[in-house]
Amino acid sequence: MILEPIRPAILSVRRIHNAHESVLVGYGADPSRHTSLGLVTCDQDDSTYVALDEATKHAPVEVVFARSFYAGASFSSGRLSGEILGVLAGAGPAEVETGLRALVGCLEHDACFYHGDERGEIALFPHVVSSIGHYLAHESGLPVGSSMAYLVAPPMEGTIGIDRALKEANVRVAKLFPPPTETNFTAAWLAGELSECEAAASAFAEAVIQVGREPRA
Amino acid sequence: MSATRELVAKLRRQLGEDEPLAPARPALPLTPPPRRVFPTKRAKSDYLREASQHTTALVGIGHVGTRYATDVVLQFQAELAVAHEAVASLLPEGWRAEHGLMLLNTEVADHQEYLMRPDLGRRLAAESRELLEAAALKDIDVQPILADGLSARACVESGMNVLSALTSQCMGLGLTLGTPMCARFARVWLEDEIGELVRAKVAIIILGERPGLGTGDGLSAYLVHRPTVGKTDGDRNMISNIHRRGLSPEAAGARLARMASAMIEQNISGVELDLSRVGGELGSQALRKPEPRVSLVECSR
Repeated sequence: MILEPIRPAILSVRRIHNAHESVLVGYGADPSRHTSLGLVTCDQDDSTYVALDEATKHAPVEVVFARSFYAGASFSSGRLSGEILGVLAGAGPAEVETGLRALVGCLEHDACFYHGDERGEIALFPHVVSSIGHYLAHESGLPVGSSMAYLVAPPMEGTIGIDRALKEANVRVAKLFPPPTETNFTAAWLAGELSECEAAASAFAEAVIQVGREPRA
Repeated sequence: MSATRELVAKLRRQLGEDEPLAPARPALPLTPPPRRVFPTKRAKSDYLREASQHTTALVGIGHVGTRYATDVVLQFQAELAVAHEAVASLLPEGWRAEHGLMLLNTEVADHQEYLMRPDLGRRLAAESRELLEAAALKDIDVQPILADGLSARACVESGMNVLSALTSQCMGLGLTLGTPMCARFARVWLEDEIGELVRAKVAIIILGERPGLGTGDGLSAYLVHRPTVGKTDGDRNMISNIHRRGLSPEAAGARLARMASAMIEQNISGVELDLSRVGGELGSQALRKPEPRVSLVECSR
C-alpha cells in the first residue's frame, strides 16, 4: 500500500543521571551545565532527529550527540543499535526526563518514514516541521521557530524529488545531503513559509512515488 | 504534532488510495525512573517536635526538596511584616501627655531621619534640655526614661506597666526617683545626657527593642551608673525581651530596681558589676519558660 506509515521502533531508552565528566565531554555535553544524559536508539534515524529536536522544544535540554549508523538499521551492530544513537543532555534528571517524554511521544505519534511503493521497497520521509527547535536550528543555521521541509528518500528518488520540491514550492535549500549519507539515502532541509514547506513535501512525495513507478522514464 | 500525516493522507487520496491512513499508535508508556514525590512525607522526630516547643527559632520546619514548605514561607513573611510594622510605628500624638510624662525630643526631625541617623537620636534637642534643667527633679538615685526606640508599639503597649512596676519597686528599696519622662525618636545613649543633666546615680532607659521575626512588642531596658556623655556599652547593663511572651513588665520592674540598687551599692555598672551578689532571680541562671512560635498563617494540607 502506497504511503503507508513505517513505524519507528524505539529500541532502547536509557538515562545516565550523573554522567562521568569524560563521557559528558566525549559526547559533546558541557559538564558545567549538564549532569544528566538521556540516550535513545531507534531504527529510523531521520524520525529520531526530528524527535530529538522536538525534545528541545519541551524541556531545557540540548541534543549533544546524534549520529546515524552506517548502512542503516538492516545492518545494525546489535539488537538495540538500530540506525541512530541520540543523546539529550540536561542540568538534571528531571529536565532529561521531560525531554525523553517529548521525544518518545514524537516518535510514536508523528515522525516516521512512509512506503513509497506497493512492495515496500522504497522508503521516504516527507516530513514538515512547522516550527523547528534548538537542535535543527543549530544544525541548519535557520532561526528557531522556522518552518522546515525535512525530505529524505533513496538516492535516485530523493534527487528527483528535491528538484521537484524546489521548483513547485517557494522554498530555499537550508542544507542538502547528497548521497550517500551514512544510511545511503539522500536528504534535504528546505526552508520557507509553512504552507510552502507543505507544498514542497507534497511535491517531493509525489515525485518519489512517480520515480518508483517509472524508473526509466 | 506536525502537519506531515495530514499531508500524506491527502496525497494518498490524490494517488487513488481509498483506505484511510492507519491511525497513529498510542504512545507506549515510557518506563518511569524512580520518582521523588512532593511534598515529601513529613519526617517525624520526637526530639525536633519537643525542641520546637521551647523556642521561636526555626527548628524542625522540614523541607520540600531543597525548599521550605509553603506554610513556613508564609509564616516567615507574616513575621517579617509584623517586624516591619513595628519599626514603622510612631508614638501617638498626646500619648505622653496623657500619661503624665515629661515630653522630651531628640535632635531628630522625622521618623526617616531617626532610622538613618542614630547619632541624632542620642542627643537632646535644645528646648528639651532647657525643659529638663528647669522642671526635672535633680540629684536623685534613679532616673527612669521611657522612649519609643525602634518599636513605638512596644512602648505604648507595655511601657507604662514597666515604668510603674519600676517606680513601686524602687520606692520599696528606698531609692529616690526622678521625674517620669518619655523621649521621642530616642536611642539608648540618650540616657547618658539626660542622666548627667539631672545628676542621677543611675539612669534607666526603657525603649522598644529592634523587632525580630514575629516580635514587634519587645521592650529593652538599659541601665548605666553615673551617666555622663561618653559612657560606652561596656558600662551598661540591660534586660531584653520584656513582653507578654518573655519577661513580664512586673518582673522586669523588680529586676531593674534590684540592679539599680546593686549599682549604687557597688558604685559601678557594666561588665564589672557583680550580679552574683545581687541574689535572687538575677544571679541565678534560671531557664526561661518555653516560648513556642505563634502561628500567624493557616495552611491546609
